[in-house]
This record gives sequence, C-alpha cells and structure tokens, in this order.
Amino acid sequence: MDVLDQLAAVREGKLSRRAFGRSLMAVGISLVSIPLLPRRSLAAAEDHATYFTWGGFDIPDYFDEYVAKRGELPNFVTYGSAEEALQKLQSGFVADIAHPCLSDVPRWSSTGLFQPVDVARLSNWADVIPELWDVPYNLTEGKPWLIPFEWGQTSIAYRTDLFGLEGEESWNMLWDARHAGRLGSLGAGGDVWWCAAIKAGVPFDQIGTDAAFEKISAVLREQRPLIRMYTDDTTSLDTALAAGEIVATMAWNSSVVSLAAQGVPVKFARPKEGALTWVCGMMLHAEAPKIDSAYDVLDSLISEAAAVFNMRDYGYGGVNRKAFDQFTDADLEVLGLSRNPAEVLKAGHFGVPQTPEWDRRMTETWEQIKLGF
Amino acid sequence: MTLAANSPVPPVRPGAVLRFLHRNEAWRGYLLILPALGLMLVAILFPLGSTLMMSTWSLSGYEIARTPSLDNYAAMLGHPMYGVLIGRSLEVALVATAVTVALCYPMAYYVAFHVHRHKALWLMLMTLPFWTSYLLRVFAWKVVLGYEGVLNTALVGLGVVETPVAALLYSQTAVTVVLAHSWAAFAVLPIYVSLEKIDRTYLEAAADLGDGPWRRFWRITFPLSLPGVVAAFFLMFVPTVGDYITPAMVGGPDGMMVGNLIQAMFGPMNNWPAGAALSVVLMVTIALAGLAFLIVGRLVRRV
Repeated sequence: MDVLDQLAAVREGKLSRRAFGRSLMAVGISLVSIPLLPRRSLAAAEDHATYFTWGGFDIPDYFDEYVAKRGELPNFVTYGSAEEALQKLQSGFVADIAHPCLSDVPRWSSTGLFQPVDVARLSNWADVIPELWDVPYNLTEGKPWLIPFEWGQTSIAYRTDLFGLEGEESWNMLWDARHAGRLGSLGAGGDVWWCAAIKAGVPFDQIGTDAAFEKISAVLREQRPLIRMYTDDTTSLDTALAAGEIVATMAWNSSVVSLAAQGVPVKFARPKEGALTWVCGMMLHAEAPKIDSAYDVLDSLISEAAAVFNMRDYGYGGVNRKAFDQFTDADLEVLGLSRNPAEVLKAGHFGVPQTPEWDRRMTETWEQIKLGF
Repeated sequence: MTLAANSPVPPVRPGAVLRFLHRNEAWRGYLLILPALGLMLVAILFPLGSTLMMSTWSLSGYEIARTPSLDNYAAMLGHPMYGVLIGRSLEVALVATAVTVALCYPMAYYVAFHVHRHKALWLMLMTLPFWTSYLLRVFAWKVVLGYEGVLNTALVGLGVVETPVAALLYSQTAVTVVLAHSWAAFAVLPIYVSLEKIDRTYLEAAADLGDGPWRRFWRITFPLSLPGVVAAFFLMFVPTVGDYITPAMVGGPDGMMVGNLIQAMFGPMNNWPAGAALSVVLMVTIALAGLAFLIVGRLVRRV
C-alpha cells in the first residue's frame, strides 16, 4: 500500500524530498542484497566440467551422485552424431568429457585430443562390467581410453498396428516398398552404414573392402526413395512414429521404451540377421580444464543410480553390475537386455574399429547417397 | 595531426597536414572511408581470401595438406552431384523469389498509394514475421505443414481428404513455400520505397491525357518501380540460394540444397578444403546469375 501511496504522491506532485530519498535507498539496498540471499548452491557454472554428449543424456537423472557432492549439475553441450562431435572437437572446441562409442576409440584416441582415464579415481569402477571396456584397443598402459556408460542395439522400431509384418522380423522391413515414403532412418553413417552392411550380408571384418563399399552403397541407394526422413534427432523420429507419419524406422532402444510408455503400439524388432550392437561411453579430453569435476562426472555416470535409469527409462543396458539386482530376468527380457551383456552384444553384430581413411570414405559416400547420388 | 607528430624527419609544421587535406579533396575522402575500409578488410576480404586459399588445399588423413592445387575444383567437375544441387538451389531460390516479389508488390502498392494515415504502423505490420528468429519461423512452418499439422488437421476435419497429406512437408515445394514467407520483408520494403518515390503528378498528367488506370499503371507506375523490384529480387535471391536451415528442416531427402552439402563438408565429412571450393563455386554462380539478371533487365527496359 505504501508503494501505491507514494505513486499517488508522485502523480500529484506532493512527494517530499525526504520520502523520495527513503524509497530510493530501499530500492538500492534490495538491489544490492538480492544476490546475497541464500541460493541452492554457491558454486558457479565455471567450476563444473563440461559434458559433450548426445542430446537426451543432458538430464539431471544421471547426476545424483555428482549433485550430492558438488551441489549443481555439470555443464552440457549436445550433438546429434559422433562425427559431428569429433569434427567440433578437432576444430578447437574443448569439453572435459565427450561421449563416443567403443568402436570409435582407436580413431578418436589417435587425434591426440584425449587422455586415458585413471580409474583409481573412480569409486564405482569396481562395479563396472569388464566385458564392456576390456578390449585391447581401449587400453593403453593398462588404462582405458573410454569409460563405458550404456550399451544397446540399433535395430528397427515399427508400429505393430500399421506395418503389417509378413514372416519374420528382418532388416528387409526398412526396404519394404509397400511403405514407400513412410520409413525413417537415422542420419549418421556410424549407424546406417553398419546396418546396411548387415542387410547386404557383408561380414564386419570385410567391411573395408571395395566390394563391401559397392554392396553397401547399392542397398542404401535402393532404400533412399523409400525414406521420408534421415535425421539424427531421435525425437523427430519418435513423434513421426507416434503420429503414424512413418510406420518403421531405424532406431535405438530408447525410442521404443519411451513410445511404449506413451501407449503407442510399437515394437523393437529382433531382425533375423541380427541387430547392430554397440557400447558407448565417455572419453576424457587431454586438456580438460576442470579435471577434478570431470572425474566426479565420470563417477556419477557409472553409478548404480545412473545405470538403473538407463535401463528403466531409456532401455539401454547399464554398466554397473549392482543395477541389475533391481530387475527380474523377465524385465530384462522385455527390454532386450541380459545380465551378461556379452550375450546380447555377441548375438548381434558389434562394430569393428576402422581406419580414418575408411571413415572418411564411408562418410563421404554416405552423405552423397543421402543427397541422392 | 598524429601523422605529423609521428614523422620527425623532415620536420613538418603542425598545420601542414590540415592544409594538405584542405587542398586535396580525394585524400580527405580516403581518410573518411578508412574505418569502413578497415572493417571490410578484416570482416570480408580476409575470410574471403582464406576461403579461396583453403579451396586449393587438400586432405591427407585428418591433416590438411597445404600444397596448392585445383584438385577440388576438378573433382567437382567430374561429379554430377554438384551441378544438380546447384541447379536445384538456383531453381528453388528463383521460384521463391519470383513468388515473393509477385505477392509483395500489391502489398507495397497498397501501402504506398492507398494508405494515408499510420503508414509507419502498416510497414511495421508487414515486417512482423521478422520479429521472431529465422529458425522459429521455419519451425512454425513445420507445425503448419506437418503430418499432424494445422493444415492437415483442417483438411481432414473438413472432410476434404481422408488421411493427412504427407506430401506437404519434406519436399522441394515445402522449401519454396517457407523461403517465400521467411524473406517477404526483404521484398516488401525496397518495392515500397520505389513506389513511394514516384512523382504523383505524372499520374495526374497521364489521367489528364486520357489514360485509364491500367494504362497508367503499366506505362508509369510499373516502369518507375522496377529499380525497387530488382533490388528486392537481389536481396532475396542471393541469400536464399545458399540457404541451409530451411531445406535441412522441411526439405526431406529430395529437397536438399547446395548449402546442406557445404554444411556436410564442414561438418560430418570434415573436408574443409572441398567445402571451401564448393563455397567459391557457389559464390561465382550467384554472381553470374545476378549478372545475367541485370543484363536481361537492361535489355527488357530498352525494348
């Protein structure tokens, strides 16, 4: 009411100098003191590591441990595909932690942009399933380059009510001319090229040969007229699938789990040829500016809570052994997971690291195919 | 003054520089444009130069080899993709520009000739789409044209079609429509200015001499507004040829333009030299297209 009185006084030209001075002082004091009021935490954003990750992983649910220790979330920067991320890092962007996949490790570590992780600094490391990181190319002097975070499959998500499945589930579903213009695909060669290799019947150990390039290009060119959209934005694919705009798409586990939770009749196919399987995780930047915070981020990401969230809400396999105690075998079966990750990973086709030359040729060919050539 | 202070030998009297500038008009001019020239050098010529230089480099593995060669350009000649994409970009930009100019002309005409009060308000309303960011405008079109979008819902609701029309989004047509809307303000304003400038007494004279409204328009208003039309055409055509956001968001596989390929080259393909070469080719193409348009415009006006 006091404020209104004063406003009225101003309007009538009756505000005394003394009253005006008093109000001005009150405003001044409150302006100066508001920033001093207790906030949720006193740590500034500069004190936290930056986590450079796929869109969708930039959520608080993975960071319970980190927040408990440091009061706030780390900083996030997101990307749509690993190629894009590496390109950005190579052109000088510095993030403490990046999020590639296990088969990218030789290529990424050869850039000199990363450092091996000192696992002694990770309190949850003892619970991490070794099959997910213990491969020769991920180790240097006994230290891993990549700390695993999630594992899963790239397969086909399809609408059970709209697709009209004939026979067994197979990669041919994404080449089904009945649904021309109503099929979707991921946009990054890192997934598409390998899936096309499975469809073309190219064994992964021969994926580097010229014959393999020709075969894979041919099936991808054949598929292109049928595709409504190529995108790295899984949300676009999810909404299109929910709307019935597309009836089947190449997808990761998370699409199906989130759509099924919304009541969309959608299924994650188990193609008879096998799905593409992968392990992804974190790599530490060689010049990580906030290294201590970065180690806490890593520790939080391999915690039991993060692994449970990965499995329950995204359908990805968790990396922390303890997390599996919260799921029955039946639950895991529904999610397409297993207590023994190697079982699932070996049942599908696991990506094999390739040379930079191969990678360049693959990406170039794939981008051209996408554009119609 | 500073020049004089910094050059001790031979000693220059303080007033000499001022007197020199006073006598030489040309030098006065150079001095005046110096800041602008400096900015040009740093912000335009330097990046342009480095693009040109990079376009002659090549890649070996992850490293860039800095031995100059024309391989990037040769590779472009040898592959049909570049020609097709540039052709498609020119076509889309041309159609979008023509549509926009045709639609904006009546709008500008109305405000210039028939609005007498609150002109500024009208102009502001016409630039309303520009109050939101480009990205948001494109996204709004995604909502309008989408499978479950405004247009499809309306069509299905009215019983015009039974299932939503999928072809509205993710096509070359969608790209054209979105570009035509997003750049409208660039077309309205130059046309409005040229129409506003027309001396109304010409029209009165023509009326006195017995010309009807149509003849007055075609013989006086339209020819005199042509500079504005040409300006509008350029302002919109040049940036839309290389547009990247619109085709990426509403283009679908068949609506991709050359800007998307350049982005892919600087992004996932990580081949900056090839991207630089393609950018140079695109710049030259746009310059040639603009030149052709100017020449045609001259010829038409002379006829």
